[in-house]
Amino acid sequence: MKPVAFDLTTATAAPHAVALLSNVDIEAKIIAGGQSLGPMLNLRLARPGHLIDVTRAKDLRGVVDEGSALLYGAAVTHAEIEDGAVPDATGGWLQAIASRIAYRAVRNRGTMGGSLVHADPAADWVVTLTALGAVAVIAGPGGAAREEPLSSFIAGPFTTTLKPGEILTGIRLAKRTADARWGYWKFTRKVGEFAKASAAVLIDPGAGDTRVVVGAIEQPPIILPAGDAEAVIAGRLPIEEALRRALPHRPPASLVLHAVAVREALGIAGAAGFPAQDQGAA
Amino acid sequence: MNAITLRINDRAVSAEVEPRIHLADFLREDQLLTGTHIGCEHGVCGACTLMVDGRPVRSCLTFAAGCGDAEVRTIESFDDDPLMTRLRAAFSRHHALQCGFCTPGMLVTSYDIVRRLPHADEARIREELSGNLCRCTGYAGIVAAIQDVLSAPPAAPVQPLTRPAPTAPAAVMGAPAVTGATSRPSVAAPREEAPSPALPPLDGAITDGVTLTRAIPLDLPPDQVWALVQRIDAVVACLPGARLIGATSGEVLDGTFTIAIGPMRATFAGKAAVSFDAASRSGTVRGRGGDARSRSSADGAMGFRVAEGVAGGSRVEVDLTYRLKGPLAQFGRPAIVSGIIDRLLADFAANLTALAEGREGAVTTEPPSGFRLVLGALAARFRRLLGR
Repeated sequence: MKPVAFDLTTATAAPHAVALLSNVDIEAKIIAGGQSLGPMLNLRLARPGHLIDVTRAKDLRGVVDEGSALLYGAAVTHAEIEDGAVPDATGGWLQAIASRIAYRAVRNRGTMGGSLVHADPAADWVVTLTALGAVAVIAGPGGAAREEPLSSFIAGPFTTTLKPGEILTGIRLAKRTADARWGYWKFTRKVGEFAKASAAVLIDPGAGDTRVVVGAIEQPPIILPAGDAEAVIAGRLPIEEALRRALPHRPPASLVLHAVAVREALGIAGAAGFPAQDQGAA
Repeated sequence: MNAITLRINDRAVSAEVEPRIHLADFLREDQLLTGTHIGCEHGVCGACTLMVDGRPVRSCLTFAAGCGDAEVRTIESFDDDPLMTRLRAAFSRHHALQCGFCTPGMLVTSYDIVRRLPHADEARIREELSGNLCRCTGYAGIVAAIQDVLSAPPAAPVQPLTRPAPTAPAAVMGAPAVTGATSRPSVAAPREEAPSPALPPLDGAITDGVTLTRAIPLDLPPDQVWALVQRIDAVVACLPGARLIGATSGEVLDGTFTIAIGPMRATFAGKAAVSFDAASRSGTVRGRGGDARSRSSADGAMGFRVAEGVAGGSRVEVDLTYRLKGPLAQFGRPAIVSGIIDRLLADFAANLTALAEGREGAVTTEPPSGFRLVLGALAARFRRLLGR
């Protein structure tokens, strides 16, 4: 179980990584913590010719306070968020999410940006950062930069809108105030496994943000339309009906677990009429 | 080869490493530190867990070439560590090991639990241990040993460290130019390998398969769609990633099917049997193929029916049962495969429509790739086709 031969270059900074990506004339791929790509390499399912290691790129490793938002460097690890070693734009929600990703040994290397670019539909950051309205900050060849909401950046299973030569450099996350509420719940058969169903709920009256997001599905996380999300939170629309509207082609029986996830997440977020839950419950 | 300098068990080490060598192999085979055990070698079992920069990591998912300036500690370096000494004694006392294969990884994880979570209760310990598999003990002894040490833990000498930033090669300072070392890659670009010998066609039912049903709307009259789907070459041309090999003999065909799942790419070579029933405008395709590179195989059976659609159009109803075996199956979870099939069917529908309208140049024959499929127009079409 050894990977096929490849070259590996440690990038010193994001522009270095971008230059390498465009200039090495073979199939090159960015690697951060390598906790998802690593197994694929070892099993020879992925065979890039050149890996560009960004885990030590200084400009991808910090968090910048932009006033109303924080910009997380793409190579900040899950463990650094879990430990509170970097500021938390949400007053602790990120810490709780990070602490339940896979296992500690994985969290010590896995990165927030790597998880988003890998775009596994069941990944915790893919679902929760979509619900938190995060924005992907992207660098491209020749100093090009662009930004895109995560809701469109994640385009499908293992698929993002990154174009050849582009890298994700950061994730912008609005700061949340004390009156904002949040719930995230996932179903896993074993601690640390990928979720079979998950849901995240954001209720932020101050910022006018209300989002109900369903994840661990065969496509990017489903963001319920604003009207449906509010109706579900207010108890006017059954969760099952909202899911049926959002996913009309799916047999309703296949959405039972996702409905449970939404109900639990609503409870955690403290929505009236839903059983209260601990943030840590799963 | 990449040159690295790092510290291993308090010793400065300089080495030339092949980039694909993971840290566990480098330590065992180059440094002869065989205390690190290798189990699954893809990040599941935790046997290879050791400390890098004072934090437990999977050494099978850490490349040695990426460990420049790192502080690596294997189980061998903990002989005189007071906390590890206590853990070893507790493991022994509580029968926390039998065969010992998982033990080096278990001890490193246990060390981290005691250092980081002094107030962990049994439930928390079990949660924290969930990334380290033990097939002998049933974990009870391991949990008891950790609880024992947590009751009066000595201070942990090994603490997390921040690795210094990499020193930039002179050419990289300021202008991000590519260094000489990387401009002439030592590895050839991956080439498509010859497909594996074709497997015999599938017979019998697919047990333990996953079944999907889909309806593909087409802006074409049913007569035209029915005529098209009977042209095997046309159908294959419209299915991204599919390719026929040689002439079709009757209703059995040889071919390959290439599929990209994120960074993974597999080419299944095999046989498919096709049958049609004109009376009900329906048919079946049964196939079986293997991918030599990933040592994975796939069985699939598809039934389809051309029905009347809305406004003179048609609807192709598809039910598909498949089963993946081999390493690829670990990543091809049903939800992921179902998403990929949705994209495939959406492309197929777009291509078939283009073909029928005489826009053959528009046919996409590339395998479904994450990068290509997201292009705006296609994504919009995809949503429309699936009614989202």
